[in-house]
Amino acid sequence: MHIPDGFLDLSICAVTYLATLIFWVFAFRRARQVLSERQIPLMGTLTAMFFAAQMMNYPIIGGTTAHLLGGPILAITLGPYAGLISMTIILLIQAFFFGDGGITTFGANVWNMGIIGVFIPYIICLLTIKMVKDKNGMLIGAFIGAFTGDLLAAVFAGLELGLSTLTFPYSISIAVTAMAIHHSFIGIGEGIVTVLIISVLLKTRPDLLQLPKVAPKWMGELPIVSTKPGGP
Amino acid sequence: MSGSKRIFMLGIIVSIIFVIVGCMWLSYSAETLDEVAEHFGASESFVWTPPLPDYEIPGLEGNLAANIIVGMAFTLLTLAVALAIGKTLKAKT
Repeated sequence: MHIPDGFLDLSICAVTYLATLIFWVFAFRRARQVLSERQIPLMGTLTAMFFAAQMMNYPIIGGTTAHLLGGPILAITLGPYAGLISMTIILLIQAFFFGDGGITTFGANVWNMGIIGVFIPYIICLLTIKMVKDKNGMLIGAFIGAFTGDLLAAVFAGLELGLSTLTFPYSISIAVTAMAIHHSFIGIGEGIVTVLIISVLLKTRPDLLQLPKVAPKWMGELPIVSTKPGGP
Repeated sequence: MSGSKRIFMLGIIVSIIFVIVGCMWLSYSAETLDEVAEHFGASESFVWTPPLPDYEIPGLEGNLAANIIVGMAFTLLTLAVALAIGKTLKAKT
């Protein structure tokens, strides 16, 4: 889903850079308030792990390939603010050193994979936990959140392409549909892997699941998973 | 070994496995976005020449050992950058 240079009109690049900049400022300010000392090694480890995971491409429909994004796991373990910062580091190294994603389109890529791909799974997971108040809530929320996050990130990428009429002379509906169909399969894969990792963490290290602890106040009271290994 | 150190070491080992698997068996990439864009006639135009295009050292394209070394080196760089930024964030708390 990494958009290279030349695929988007400069006006779309500028708008997405601006929108992303607002989230960066917000994320850095909030991460300073909520990121704990013991989360820093976890942030480093997960950022490196998902950088490496994005090097593994598995085949999907139509002869294309996909790779894990990791946004949902970052959101659930680090919270969305540090999750966005982690994804930004991954995308920056990929763009700068490998040309995987462009420089002019960096704002769009962070918007799609670092903001939509992290905050949407986070919000959906929180809402699901609110509705299903046991560990199944987190697992159901993790799957739906990961699927929706991937799909919406692809829809945004399609929108950005479709709105770039100077470089991509096709309608929004064509671009969005093409991206959404493929990424619904990728979303299922992301959802399954996310549920597998979260279920292992629920059994072994529930204290690492930060999601309810960094929830905004308007969410009200949420069930916080036990810090005692062995389950809630 | 403390819990944090164990997770840290486990993360590094898993990352190395990902790099090796990614380089040896799952390296072929045909991303949906590239395929869709190519199908509709959009073309890539670099504004920046990356030093290691497509995760390969120029002149050593297709060299498995070189690709694994690049993957591991940049996984460690990513780790270092994330730890440094994390520490900066913590320092300001």
